[in-house]
Amino acid sequence: MSPSTRNQVFIEMLETLSRDYLQGKEDVLRLSVIALLSGGHILIEDLPGLGKTTVALTLAAITGLSFGRVQCTSDLLPSDITGLSVFNRDEGQFSFQPGPIFNNIVLLDEINRAMPRTQSAMLEAMEERRVTVEGVTHHLPGPFMVFATQNPSDQSGTFPLPESQLDRFLICTDIGYPPRALERGIIAGGGIRERISDMTPLVTQDDIMTARRDVHSVYLSDKVLDYIHALIIATRSDELIQTGLSTRAGINLAQASRASAYLAGRDYVAPDDVRNTAVAVCAHRLVMRGGELSASERGIVLRTIIDRIPLPLV
Amino acid sequence: MVSIRLIAAILTYAIGLCGILPLFPWLTTVPRLVLAAGLLAGLWQDSRKSWLIKPWMQNSVIVPVFLYYAVQFSRANPIQPVVSLLAIMLAVRLAGEKTVRHSLQIHVLALFCLASSSLFDLSPMFLLYLGLMLFLVAIALILLAFQSQENSMLLSRAELRKVLLAGCLMPLLSLPLLLVFFPILPRTQLPLWNFLSSPAVRTSGYSDKVEPGVQPNVGESRALAFRAEMARQQQQQLYWRGSVFNRLQENRWVRVEGIPSEQPVSGGVSIDQLIYPEPSVSRVLIALDRPADIRLTRLKRSPDGVFEYTGPLGRRINYQARSVTAGAVAANAPLNRRFYLHLPEGIPPRITGLAGEIGRLGRNDLERLTLLETHFRNGNYRYSMSGLPTGERALEQFIFDGKQGHCEFFASAFAVLLRGAGVPCRLVGGYVGGDYNQLGGYYLVSEDMAHVWVEAFIEGRGWLRIDPSSFASNAGEVWNPEKSRSLMLRLRLSLDYLNYQWNRTVIVYDFEQQFEFVRRAGKRLHGINPAGIIGSGWPYLAAISLFGTLLYMIRNTTLFRRREERILRRFLKRVGTEFGIDAGQGRMGLFEIAERVGNERVGEFAAIYSGAVYRDRRLTDQEYRRLRQILRELNQARKAL
Repeated sequence: MSPSTRNQVFIEMLETLSRDYLQGKEDVLRLSVIALLSGGHILIEDLPGLGKTTVALTLAAITGLSFGRVQCTSDLLPSDITGLSVFNRDEGQFSFQPGPIFNNIVLLDEINRAMPRTQSAMLEAMEERRVTVEGVTHHLPGPFMVFATQNPSDQSGTFPLPESQLDRFLICTDIGYPPRALERGIIAGGGIRERISDMTPLVTQDDIMTARRDVHSVYLSDKVLDYIHALIIATRSDELIQTGLSTRAGINLAQASRASAYLAGRDYVAPDDVRNTAVAVCAHRLVMRGGELSASERGIVLRTIIDRIPLPLV
Repeated sequence: MVSIRLIAAILTYAIGLCGILPLFPWLTTVPRLVLAAGLLAGLWQDSRKSWLIKPWMQNSVIVPVFLYYAVQFSRANPIQPVVSLLAIMLAVRLAGEKTVRHSLQIHVLALFCLASSSLFDLSPMFLLYLGLMLFLVAIALILLAFQSQENSMLLSRAELRKVLLAGCLMPLLSLPLLLVFFPILPRTQLPLWNFLSSPAVRTSGYSDKVEPGVQPNVGESRALAFRAEMARQQQQQLYWRGSVFNRLQENRWVRVEGIPSEQPVSGGVSIDQLIYPEPSVSRVLIALDRPADIRLTRLKRSPDGVFEYTGPLGRRINYQARSVTAGAVAANAPLNRRFYLHLPEGIPPRITGLAGEIGRLGRNDLERLTLLETHFRNGNYRYSMSGLPTGERALEQFIFDGKQGHCEFFASAFAVLLRGAGVPCRLVGGYVGGDYNQLGGYYLVSEDMAHVWVEAFIEGRGWLRIDPSSFASNAGEVWNPEKSRSLMLRLRLSLDYLNYQWNRTVIVYDFEQQFEFVRRAGKRLHGINPAGIIGSGWPYLAAISLFGTLLYMIRNTTLFRRREERILRRFLKRVGTEFGIDAGQGRMGLFEIAERVGNERVGEFAAIYSGAVYRDRRLTDQEYRRLRQILRELNQARKAL
């Protein structure tokens, strides 16, 4: 299969998911797959009960990837995530018991409830894709993706992620309430948790690894590159923004745009790809002037900046 | 982003047009065709961005053209070859690539073309074109300065606006300077080539009195006396009348007041002249003999046909004169003979004797005149500027002993003898002869042509002009009109032509006239009505449309766009009219439009177009055809609805 047809698998997968399982969550699904295909992590910032966990579970089920879950609390220790060495009396030596992070898709629920020490351990693992426990380095499995969630409303007893940590998430998005008709249908039909275990994977681990390579070779023309760069520069000089986008943000935006183009069935990046992913990729990285703003408010600021920059059409 | 090269090229074409349009109606067919061809070839090649016509080709074309027109050039036909050559050179440059150097050459050539169009017709349109060109050149120069630094420089719209503003400001700011340089500074009254004339040694030359016998030798000065713009005349007719001396006081002929009135009857051929005298201390206005009318404010006219200027001296002036060339001017009123017969006491007896003899021999005035003429012709008098008799008895010595002298002696002696014989007469001071400058169509008269002759009144015929100097035995040598057709003279005439033009167009052209000219131009522009523009004022239309086109080209330069840009514009326009989506200026991506519209064809367009553009390649011919077809289909779909 050529790169231009291989992406059909993922396009079909997305269609199946949003048609049969996760109605009304196309955007977050697409962004999750973008994160998966560009090797990044995703932070979902929304209220409980809107299907954050279901999205992660469904994605794991349909890709046939292993799934691990960490419910973060303030007493969560780094070893609770990474695993620890336990003395094996039979063998007479310590053996490493891998933690939940040794899965392909790891759900870090309510990540802002964990202590900073634990947060930083997790984030280090996310960045390095390996875990060092008692001097031994353990590599994390093939496709590795973190699904972190965060509850924006409940701020007591939480440790908000610092900006430097937020930068490590490729994408940050919300889910939002489903449309009225859909929500009624969901309530009527009950959750889909039960059906998840029955799902047959539509893509394999190999498909994902190949797709990641394909995404990497999606053509990014100078015009679009200029557009991305113009966007980053514009955030740095906006009066509402204290700290604009970093170079890493630019790299990530290009990656996500490539994946977006791949999912749109193209082997080149169009400015539309950049525009469609920019808020999800960039908004959470902005440090605003005049106190904290929620992710959606930052998204609005970024959207106005994006609208100011003309798309390169020629 | 706009490419500087593109704008500079557009401006260069506009400047070229500014030079071509005013000149075009005056060109012959060949330069016209070459101009049109050059312009089209240039535009075509510029739109393709490849230049078939290389600089060496242009240069090798110019050489034979130059030689051809150089051979054509002559004094009789000086303008057309030069103008044709200019036009062809401009056309050749327009046909080639617009490098910085070539663009500058085009600007200069266009300016020359515009300037040379003023040789044919100096209408207010010239000013309009000149103003337009001034602005265009200023902007183009700024852009070319950028371009020479970096050929492929791009400017954003804001930067471009800044550059255009600066370019427009420069000519505006230079306007006050222009005022200083054009109407004020040139009035310095200094002739351009004065240093070429030999220094004056005082001199023969025109003066307000005639006093033979003061100096033994008289130097000759080639200093300019005046120029007279007029048709060429017979050399024998060239007597330029100045002042009249009517009274002999001791040895000096002067002009006294109380001139009896006489009414000349005009007749014969009248000749109009435009006279540009050099500044002098004399108030007498010179015109071809005999002036019937001179048009000038502050003028005093005497009954004997002498015109005097009463305005301030030392200024350059010019005036129109109308002369009647009849050798005699009839006078109908009875003449005050006593006034013109007066002689002072103490005329030497030898002179009165001779005069009395002539008076007795001749039965009437005409016969006495003829007798005196015969006396001079047979008396072996010689015309000379040296070895002149001096002193109180100089005149007597001239008549009877030395018999050599210059015009003052001849005229003075002749007049004294005539009066002694009872024939009323007077001395006339002026100039005789003149070098005709064919280039400028004017006579050049220098101080060494100053002359004195005699007018005698014959009952029934009026005042007759008699030039006693022509009775000299060597008159043929001295008055030979072919005396000095030398190379030097020709050079002098050519240089004088420049000087003349300078005086004529810059210095003498007084401020009121300039102001009047500008006012008239403004008035004419004011009085334009739309119907008039279409009817007669095609140059106005051309200028306005040129300006409009230029604005249009700057604002949206579709003409010079690549086909990707062209088809995208068409697509966006179509989407706008069809689906009401305003996606101009890069507000929306093509896929976003396609998604929003939900039209298959729009989606296909977005896919094909983006597939080329965002892969950094040009559209293939096949893709281009398909895209055009999609646009057509979209159009048809709308019509079907």
